[in-house]
Amino acid sequence: MTAALRSDVAGGWQARLELGFAPVAARTALVHSAHRGPLRVQRPFHPEADGSCHVYLLHPPGGVVGGDGLALDVQLAPGAQALLTTPSASRFYRSAGARALQRQLLRVGAGARLDWLPQETIVFDGARLASTTRLELAGDAAACAWEIVCLGRPAAGEGWTHGEARFGFELWRDGRPLLLEHTPCRPGSALARAAWGLGGHVTFATLVATGACSERLARLRESLGSADRLGLTHCDDLLVARYRGPDAAEARRLFTAIWRDWRTAGGGEAPAPPRVWAT
Amino acid sequence: MSGAPAPLVPPRPPAGGAGGLPLLRLLQLASPQLPVGAFAWSSGLEGAVEAGWVQDDAGLGDWLAGLLGGPWAHQDLPALARLHAAWTLGDAVAVAHWNDWLSATRETAELRAEDRALGRALARLLATLDLPEAAAWAGAEAHTGYATMFALAAARWGVPVEATLQALAWAWIENQVVAATRLMPLGQSAAQRRLAALMPDIEAAVALALALEDDELGCSAAGLALASCRHETQYTRLFRS
Repeated sequence: MTAALRSDVAGGWQARLELGFAPVAARTALVHSAHRGPLRVQRPFHPEADGSCHVYLLHPPGGVVGGDGLALDVQLAPGAQALLTTPSASRFYRSAGARALQRQLLRVGAGARLDWLPQETIVFDGARLASTTRLELAGDAAACAWEIVCLGRPAAGEGWTHGEARFGFELWRDGRPLLLEHTPCRPGSALARAAWGLGGHVTFATLVATGACSERLARLRESLGSADRLGLTHCDDLLVARYRGPDAAEARRLFTAIWRDWRTAGGGEAPAPPRVWAT
Repeated sequence: MSGAPAPLVPPRPPAGGAGGLPLLRLLQLASPQLPVGAFAWSSGLEGAVEAGWVQDDAGLGDWLAGLLGGPWAHQDLPALARLHAAWTLGDAVAVAHWNDWLSATRETAELRAEDRALGRALARLLATLDLPEAAAWAGAEAHTGYATMFALAAARWGVPVEATLQALAWAWIENQVVAATRLMPLGQSAAQRRLAALMPDIEAAVALALALEDDELGCSAAGLALASCRHETQYTRLFRS
């Protein structure tokens, strides 16, 4: 069915998903949800005592190919608390020519809190894509967000020998950029090979969280170690972690520890990792 | 045309180059004697040497040429060109935007600290020369980038944009190679040969930077970020963090 819906002539899916969250009574509700094409959410649920709304995003069945366009718009009203993740990795498949475009805009209102914890994005050999994930925070909005990218499928013995992938990961507050990361990858390029870039590693990842403090940073450095593969720092009031290594699962394990620690900043209990990751 | 005498006019400077007073001001701006404290910082190089990612003269060349072709060509230099244009046009909004933009591309606390320490120092210096407008950028809250003040001086002193980009890239490369002479066995003459060898890379990075559109900008250096993170917690170090 999916193949029949996808138009080869017009160049693929043009999928769009809008989600709006707002505080309703003592918890956050998904108050707006609209989609076009195969970009959906599962029914929201509230597993945490703080009333935050958890949502699983479902990417198009069968992954993304050249010519596809995915647009995600998420808006948290002031005071809302939402956690978004994916039940599996996002997959970008080989393209005959056209690029796949993904644009994810996450707007977080004053006093709101967003956990943006998607599983990794896998770039298949031959895929061509450009992806931008942009968080726009208002005032004292809080957010913890990550992006984990895997070039090729090392577990399946598939390298990344051709194609093109450009990833943008940005955090803005009140119209000013606070962290801008752009990774324009081509197989065999200096960025992919050289020590200053990806150093030949197939997985790269960045986590950013608001409200950095030096005690927390020191504690995380102590507990997670400062291996060659993980770097922890603060960029102004942001905690920033970067991973460069062999394994998306390792990146997620490290980032999950940082995210859980971040959540305890207000004195609360560390949340359980989303159960869907274990399946 | 055969037999026509050569015209008796001095050769014109190449397009985009600086001549006369602008050239002299540019030499002053790019001098390692400029009292901004650049010698105290290594832009992540000390961390990279400590990690073993840069071990010798050849490795230094690869590291610097790569950074020129990557983040410098796609971030520092295009932002500098846009800042030069913004100062020339008196567009304060664009100056603030590109200052913030370049700051947001700096990957770590120490890379931001280095850029701002140098930026504030240059702002103070320019204010004591003939650019009182730089004084507004001397405070810590402005998050003043070095490129922002470099562009201000170049624009006010009539330095063309291409020469401005070459000069900032040159000043950074020279500072990095001098830092390397303190971090690894690298003699004075070898350092000069390394600098000469990197000149085509500077030229190429500037040419690329001037050709890029806004939506082509950006090139984060994951390895540089990790090297800089290491340096932030390195037990003994020669350079500031």
